[in-house]
Amino acid sequence: MKKFFAVALLFALALTMCGTVFAADKKPVVGLVMKSLSNEHFKKMEEGVRKYTEEDGSYELIARGMNSETDIDTQISIIENFIAQGIDVMCIAPADSMGIAPFVKKAVDAGIVVVNFDNPLDKKALTDNGLPEDFVYVGPNDEYGAYLVAKYMGETLGKGAKVILLEGSPGADNARQRQNGFLQGVEETGLVVLADQTAHWEIEEANTVLTNLLTIHGDEVQGVITAADGMAVGSIKALEAAGLGGKVLVSGYDNQDQVRPLLLEDKLAATVDQFGATNAYEAIKVGIRIMNGEKLSGWIKTPSELVTKNDLK
Amino acid sequence: MMNAVNDANILSIKNVSKNFPGVCALSDVSLDIRKGEVHVLVGENGAGKSTLIKIICGFHPGDSGEVLLEGVHYAPETPRAAMDAGIRVVYQEFNLLSYLSVAENIFFDHLPRKGPLVDKKKLHDDTVKVLRRVGLDVDPWQPVELLGVAQMQLVEIAKAISSKCRVLILDEPTATLSPSEISRLFDIIRTEKQEGLTVIYISHHLNEIYDIGDRVTVLRNGEIVGTKSVKEIDIPQIVSMMVGRQMESEYPFMDEFKQTDIPILEVKRLRIAASPHEISFALKQGEILGIAGLVGSKRTETVRAIFGADARLGGEILLNGKMINILTPKDAVEHGICLLTEDRKSQGLILDMQLDCNISLASIDKVSKLGLIDYGEERRQAERFTASLAIKTPSVSQLVRNLSGGNQQKAVIAKWMFSDANVLIFDEPTRGIDVGAKYEIYLLMWDLLSRGKGILIVSSDLNELMGICHRIIVFSEGQVSGEVLRPEFEQERILRYAYRVS
Amino acid sequence: MDTKKIAYLMLNEAGIGVVLVFLCLVFSVFVPKFATMNNISNIFTQISINTVIAVGMTFVILLGGIDLSVGSVLALCTILAGLTITKETLPLGAAIPLAVLASMAAGMACGLFNGWVCERWKIHSFVVTLGMLNMARGAVLQVSNSRTIYSFPKEFNAFGTLSYYGIPLIFIIAVLLVLIGHFILKKTVFGRMIYAIGNNEEAVRLSGHNTKIYKVTAFVICGATVGLAAILYMLRLNIASPILGNGFELSAIAAVVIGGTSMSGGKGSLIGTLIGAAIIGVLNNGLLLMGMSDFARQIVTGAIIVAAVIIDTYRARLSKMLS
Repeated sequence: MKKFFAVALLFALALTMCGTVFAADKKPVVGLVMKSLSNEHFKKMEEGVRKYTEEDGSYELIARGMNSETDIDTQISIIENFIAQGIDVMCIAPADSMGIAPFVKKAVDAGIVVVNFDNPLDKKALTDNGLPEDFVYVGPNDEYGAYLVAKYMGETLGKGAKVILLEGSPGADNARQRQNGFLQGVEETGLVVLADQTAHWEIEEANTVLTNLLTIHGDEVQGVITAADGMAVGSIKALEAAGLGGKVLVSGYDNQDQVRPLLLEDKLAATVDQFGATNAYEAIKVGIRIMNGEKLSGWIKTPSELVTKNDLK
Repeated sequence: MMNAVNDANILSIKNVSKNFPGVCALSDVSLDIRKGEVHVLVGENGAGKSTLIKIICGFHPGDSGEVLLEGVHYAPETPRAAMDAGIRVVYQEFNLLSYLSVAENIFFDHLPRKGPLVDKKKLHDDTVKVLRRVGLDVDPWQPVELLGVAQMQLVEIAKAISSKCRVLILDEPTATLSPSEISRLFDIIRTEKQEGLTVIYISHHLNEIYDIGDRVTVLRNGEIVGTKSVKEIDIPQIVSMMVGRQMESEYPFMDEFKQTDIPILEVKRLRIAASPHEISFALKQGEILGIAGLVGSKRTETVRAIFGADARLGGEILLNGKMINILTPKDAVEHGICLLTEDRKSQGLILDMQLDCNISLASIDKVSKLGLIDYGEERRQAERFTASLAIKTPSVSQLVRNLSGGNQQKAVIAKWMFSDANVLIFDEPTRGIDVGAKYEIYLLMWDLLSRGKGILIVSSDLNELMGICHRIIVFSEGQVSGEVLRPEFEQERILRYAYRVS
Repeated sequence: MDTKKIAYLMLNEAGIGVVLVFLCLVFSVFVPKFATMNNISNIFTQISINTVIAVGMTFVILLGGIDLSVGSVLALCTILAGLTITKETLPLGAAIPLAVLASMAAGMACGLFNGWVCERWKIHSFVVTLGMLNMARGAVLQVSNSRTIYSFPKEFNAFGTLSYYGIPLIFIIAVLLVLIGHFILKKTVFGRMIYAIGNNEEAVRLSGHNTKIYKVTAFVICGATVGLAAILYMLRLNIASPILGNGFELSAIAAVVIGGTSMSGGKGSLIGTLIGAAIIGVLNNGLLLMGMSDFARQIVTGAIIVAAVIIDTYRARLSKMLS
């Protein structure tokens, strides 16, 4: 049995080496490490990137995802496999902005060009692991996107209008950034916040939380600002059930397919598109440019755009 | 032997009473235990023996009265306190840690130490010493789980006498032992008695009283009926004191029922797991057939295989001359064969359900229509059996857990009478049941026999088998090693078959 | 005499109701809008799905088992029903019943698998349903291509907001299910066997019953209630998603256990389960209305769950003394 494993191992090793040599001769190999593929955001990203890769044709793509958002272990083993495989460029959306840093360092030490995207690595974790503080990051500015949508809501509702905020999971980086952006936009346009609660990104929980909040604030609320489209869907159902459908403005985030009809029917006022697929493709291109000798660092911003009914026409 | 007994009382129980919600467990009990005697406590289940023991051992306090230990007021608040005072108990269910070694178990409470570490050498030597006292020859480092039941019991006794022990209480110590193991246990008790140990001995086996006891106290309904020297009293007298009325004999045997030669149940070349032998025998109409044998002779395994409770590897079972295919207990029950298991609490009854639910368990179809239970009918039927079997219970809604052992066994019998079973296989039908209830269960068997049922009894109590069976077959190591008819019943002859000595 | 009997029944079947009444009283006093028809109606809606799942879970737990897969099976059921209902080739009159059927069938199939594997290889349901949790989640992501399904027919969505005298339709369905289940458990041979097996499986087997069939059926029932819960979910939120249902198993188990059903089986009732689900719902609602933060709410909810079970042990003692 032991012998069998040894042979199998050798065989596998030989295969990977062949692969590497083969790849080095031809196109660069790019590994894309995403978060959960059960999340529509990453699923769309994967499909988009595959399409761009086909059109581009100058590199080879290996795309990998995990089972759930917080499955750090799987992500680490993906990175380790990539190192063993000896790929050229790795673009990573870290599941944990601190915990992943040591493995990014490993990959860098193994000679792989690493580009961080979608979710920035923590600055302190970077320096603690001997990586530059301005490690190259390609991605949207969640805080800015959130600011945009909150500002839009404020301008539409007018100064002094009363709103409820539904946030993502406390502790998630992008949830925190979006909350900061919301509060900034709200303050600037003079909105009054009735309640600021989490619904953990969940549809059903957003529905429950908002229904309960409407019991208290039902007769004064004018707007609901949510940190994800799913939570917006749950909120719209809650408003309809409370007889407030169409009377209260709702905003989402991420511009998922499911909110398109809601925008068209005026049930959803606005959402934010952060262009997941182009973002990842951008990261890949940045990686290849670095591989070819260019010096790039710091935050390379990708766009965050407000989407309303008018943009769909 | 008597000279070891002196008249000083080691334990004096004075006017102790104890009430539980709704029950008076002990009322005004006074009893003296003399230093160096073996004092036997007998009484039916619920007579108050265990309550008395639990008060002495610190499980719960008495409501009134007091206990003196060597003349000093003694009221242990915890079992630990009782142990520290030198009162030790060996229960029917052992309290051993099965993964630990014999030595660690014996000295668990006071391991010899060398600084912070266990002094292994001293532990070994002390263990060997105490094992020799109880006549047990095993490696001190052997895990307890590898020992047999008798050996485990000796480990318990060794544990009890390894530290200061003034009174040793043995609760039904012989229930699971073979005759040779019992006589060895008695030897140990006699030796320890010579050394000055006092023993309180609880037993349902009345003949043991004469082998080992000095004095006997009979309890009934929480009161002491009397304390006698064993020389002054015979078994029928003890039984009368226990049940409160005269009984003609311990075992009813009714001559008017004659067994026939027509077989009801035939077992042919039966093969069971972990045994290379084939088993064949037949149960005839109108007879009570006993199966005797030593522990491990595969009697229980055989009846379980007949009933379909465990896998049957080969062989045939014929009912009234026709071959039947029994793969599961369901098949057996549908053919009117039932098994009353040796462990009725865990296999025969649902303790936390009501008596009526238990009685209807095997005949639920008879009290239901279209899958709906007819509660009125179920209750009426249960009440009918409760009355005809004289099950002592306030109502059929009582949880079976709250019934006494004898009444629990009657509930199991009621279950199978209701299902109209034709062949009843009893495995250890009277284990843990007191004398009065035993007698009633034997009468029930005769009642069943009079209705044309066949009865098969597995029992480790030879007196019981010889008392009520028409015929006894003897098992030895998974084979039928002999058959004895009633006129030839003789203990020695049966044991010879069991040990297979000619 | 009769009052004693009623008190005994109350304690046995619905003793935990005391905790529910107490909570409601406290919230009514301290939270101005708690005791309004509107809010009560909201709570009814919010506990319906959990109640339905918990009914099935009660059957499984009464047998000493557990079903951890309900959350992901729920997602699978919503997607299969969603795919059916949005199929354009089907006429609406057929699509809706077919969707319900698809959802129930999928749930029952998963339950059948759970039960069969547990019994065939004698594996504890904890392990088997843990496996099913992953399998169902993987399957639903595969089938749906990890996309959400929405825009159901308006006629279907309209059912979700129906209510009679302020009582939402989906809650009525949940309560009906509780009553049917209660009837099955208390009045039928099947129910008797569930309690008997949960108490002592070997004794039931040796009394000539095929215990395996009952155990597998309990898992199938649990699957069926999940299938029904999936439809209620779609009615309530008009959405079918492969990622919903995370942690639903814990809410359902909590409702069952708070309701007084013993985790080792053999004891408990569906009325208790309904009250258990209501306690969780009332807590979530009341604490939020009090303006408590998310973190504080989690702490208080957890503490009250433990307290409710502690109170329940006293109830058991009290009922013993009465009997």
